[in-house]
Amino acid sequence: MKWKQLVTPVNSMESEVAKTYMSDHAEGTYTLLDVRQEGEYEQSRIPGATLIPLPELMDRLDELDPEKPVITY
Amino acid sequence: MGGRSRGAAQLLSGKGFKDIFNLKGGLKAWQGLTAEGPAEFGMFLLTGDETFDEIVILAYGMEEGMWIFYETIKENVEDASAKELLAQLAGIEDKHKEKLFSLYTSISKSEVNLDQFEAKIVSKVMESGMSTDEFIEQNRLAMQDIPGILNIAMTLEIQAFDLYSRYSQKATDKTTKDILYQIAQEEKAHLKSLGQLMDDHI
Repeated sequence: MKWKQLVTPVNSMESEVAKTYMSDHAEGTYTLLDVRQEGEYEQSRIPGATLIPLPELMDRLDELDPEKPVITY
Repeated sequence: MGGRSRGAAQLLSGKGFKDIFNLKGGLKAWQGLTAEGPAEFGMFLLTGDETFDEIVILAYGMEEGMWIFYETIKENVEDASAKELLAQLAGIEDKHKEKLFSLYTSISKSEVNLDQFEAKIVSKVMESGMSTDEFIEQNRLAMQDIPGILNIAMTLEIQAFDLYSRYSQKATDKTTKDILYQIAQEEKAHLKSLGQLMDDHI
């Protein structure tokens, strides 16, 4: 059996670029989204990240602003 | 652990979010460690102009791949509760395959039997992708512990959820809509159990 392989439109952002982005943009103008589990978030996270574990994401989309840029990790 | 966030980014892009970026290498890269994230692997992204037959075939191929994936990693995991969960997940993917096959025969009004369906129709649609062995091999580095395996499993489940939820919205026939919606709900439940298992292993 084969895995269908297609191109995804999601852009990757290098961590250095992300650091610069976050220091150049005010808090609240973008969303830094942590989709790991709560325990992982508690152990270590990027400051300012919003936690929505992946299993909950589709039920909690209303907590995010679709107009703001989102950086996921 | 870039797989999950990439899946999340993909989900958001289908929900009207404008600018989405996936942080390359995730938190590991952020901390400046040299560890590599999982190999980038194929996403089951749909172009949106697939015919209904094609969607069902694609979904079937994906379920088959996921079934093999769970069965394979089950053999490589020692933890009894993880083994049990993986067996359950594989079992459910197997049921999804049955549902999709009967959906295919009723939609396409074709008399094809399961062997013909798998050998000719599904393998043709999926042939541009990589084999499950290659997939596992490429991601072997990222699957050396249970959290790594779970990360990849969750990535696959969100792909599956995304596929079914989008196409259940699109389906016009009520029975088809219900079946796809029900499968979407089951993939979502999978994601939750994988999340709980992740909590137990970090």
